[in-house]
Amino acid sequence: MTGDKSVLITGCGIVSAIGQDCGQVLDSLLQVRTGVGPLKYLRTEHTEFPVGEVKLSDEEMERMMGIAPGTPTTRTALMGMIALHEALGEAKLGRDDLKECGFVNGTTVGGMDKSEQYYLDFIENDSRNAYINTHDCGSCSEMIADRFGRFKMITTISTACSSAANAIEMAADMIRLGEADIVVAGGSECITKFHLNGFNSLMILDHDQCRPFDAGRAGLNLGEGAAFVVLEEASHATARNARVLARLSGYGNACDAFHQTASSPDGEGAYLAMSKALAMAGLKPSDIDYVNAHGTGTPNNDESESQAMMRVFGKDLPPVSSTKGMTGHTTSASGAIETVICILALRNGFLPVNFGFSNPMDNGIVPNMELNRGCKLRHVLCNSFGFGGNDSSLVISAVE
Amino acid sequence: MEQKTSVKILSAKQITIQNPLCEEWMENPLEYSEDYVRAVDPDFKQFISAGDARRMGKLLKRALATSLSALQEGGIENPDAIITGTGFGSIENTELFLDALVREGEQLLKPTQFMQSTHNTASSLIGIHTHCHGYNSTYSQKGFSFDSALYDAWMQFCVGRIKSALVGSHDEMSPVFSGFVRKAGHVREGEICSEAAISVLLAENGDNAYCTLEGVKLFDTPSEETLRKVLADMTAGSIDAVMTGMSGNRDNDLWYGFLNAMLPGVPQLKYKPVFGVNFSSSATGFYSAACCIREGRIPAILTTDGKPLECRKGILAVNVVEGRHYSFSLLKPCGK
Repeated sequence: MTGDKSVLITGCGIVSAIGQDCGQVLDSLLQVRTGVGPLKYLRTEHTEFPVGEVKLSDEEMERMMGIAPGTPTTRTALMGMIALHEALGEAKLGRDDLKECGFVNGTTVGGMDKSEQYYLDFIENDSRNAYINTHDCGSCSEMIADRFGRFKMITTISTACSSAANAIEMAADMIRLGEADIVVAGGSECITKFHLNGFNSLMILDHDQCRPFDAGRAGLNLGEGAAFVVLEEASHATARNARVLARLSGYGNACDAFHQTASSPDGEGAYLAMSKALAMAGLKPSDIDYVNAHGTGTPNNDESESQAMMRVFGKDLPPVSSTKGMTGHTTSASGAIETVICILALRNGFLPVNFGFSNPMDNGIVPNMELNRGCKLRHVLCNSFGFGGNDSSLVISAVE
Repeated sequence: MEQKTSVKILSAKQITIQNPLCEEWMENPLEYSEDYVRAVDPDFKQFISAGDARRMGKLLKRALATSLSALQEGGIENPDAIITGTGFGSIENTELFLDALVREGEQLLKPTQFMQSTHNTASSLIGIHTHCHGYNSTYSQKGFSFDSALYDAWMQFCVGRIKSALVGSHDEMSPVFSGFVRKAGHVREGEICSEAAISVLLAENGDNAYCTLEGVKLFDTPSEETLRKVLADMTAGSIDAVMTGMSGNRDNDLWYGFLNAMLPGVPQLKYKPVFGVNFSSSATGFYSAACCIREGRIPAILTTDGKPLECRKGILAVNVVEGRHYSFSLLKPCGK
């Protein structure tokens, strides 16, 4: 077996309902402040659903990123640019450096926000043809990347709500194999009418603030955002004196192979993903100090994930929380958004709170409700599960 | 770290605009004068029950049929990994959902259409059908989706995580979206807008393999120096031909101009006139290369001068998307 290089995280960037950079997100996590609220930016008939929107209009984001008005772009791409800008800045990577770096983005919705606005124009006239080219997932990754230069390679993973986690795993494999010394990975996804209605048709949206792992939970709140992490081979990071934020010490990807939109009762896929990640990291379950759960707030996910966590950890269940009560479910971006949240928790010594929880569910885990500031976290586990049973877990470790 | 590994291609199956699940196209290709052609579907009954088939769009049925057929021929029931590429995913169901949303409003939308619009539906369906709990992923990078999936599979072998992988790429094309991709320039003048479902079974071990895969490389906007180095590295043991994505459209074919200068005298093959153009096109090229090596000959339909060629040393498959995304995959006869 080849590929035993250590994968470090030397930069991260985030934009979400609870903040537009790492500092703001940290502040919201420490204040236990939710970003979920009434709809403001998406134009939809379904104003009854609370959402975790990024508190910026497309025009405001264009100005932030210096995009000329009228340039064809999408909300997913704009949020991706903001997060990538922060990540590259923190890792001190400039335009010329990118030629040696890979870029792996996760998205599913892609440019659907514009396609649902201009669909009839696409059919009836040529006024919005430029937006046909922004429809697909791959063009979204190109728009995000091209704002900063040309990378060595680009690709896009689309495994629904585990897209960003799988992007991070693929990027880490590239580093372990020496395909690149630096790969930037994560995901971006805006809320669209398309998937708000899709989730509504599946009857998994809560009409109130979502309540992950609560007995009365009734579904998820859609969120949006983007996050990227800079993954770097250890000796390369040392040689260029990069600031090391954390280490990606293990990861696992497994398929629940049960149902397209439901998780198995025993959480087999989730159990396998967590077990693989722990095995790769060479850790025992008791070494994990915190789990950032997928915890969507749907009856099915939280029950299945609880079973899986109880199978993995037995009596040694560490503090667990879902941060989706604050961010909303950021779908394809959630794996990266929650990875950044885990890094913030590791570096600042606190346990993110499971906002929205009040009553324990039957046969479920009881999530963490105390910040416990000043605690020392060594290893944390971050879960991301997607439709189709695409389940992934990452182990993120503190660096001395 | 230089990768030194080789993986066998145990089987490769297609549902395209040629007769499905066979290699009849090598000698008797179907020819088309239309500029939009849908795939020739096999009888799905041998793979999928009628009840299941009713709930699945064309992409899912084709993905499942090529996958099960590839697994059967390769003699593997449960591959260690299932990795899929798709540019648009199940675009027919996506379109139905989008059309209803835009024209009829947000009240009576169908969950099955939404569920199938998610790109990873094919990979997960195959996982569910074969009870495979292993590595499962999906790539969506326009005409570079298959290349990305193959690259990931290659890495999974290299890190020692898997011993077998089912790699596929599947794209369907509705009449409405076929108009869109023309407008967007994804399919050009003189090219047939088509559909394709390709499944390839890779494994470390196995008998009667078509050929071996010796390496996969991906680049965005590579320099001339990078291209020279990659071509030198990958064709060092000499090859019979290079499988290109040239279609006959001048703007598209210009992207392959570097091959004339950097691989002079190496025959250039074209698969797009046979299979048409779609986001899974490069998978049809890869499949064609594997079939040529298995047969030991390259049929006239793929060559530029219309004469068949011997195929004893190997083929380098080269894909260039929009003049920026480059992929290189080297296929060799077994035991060479």
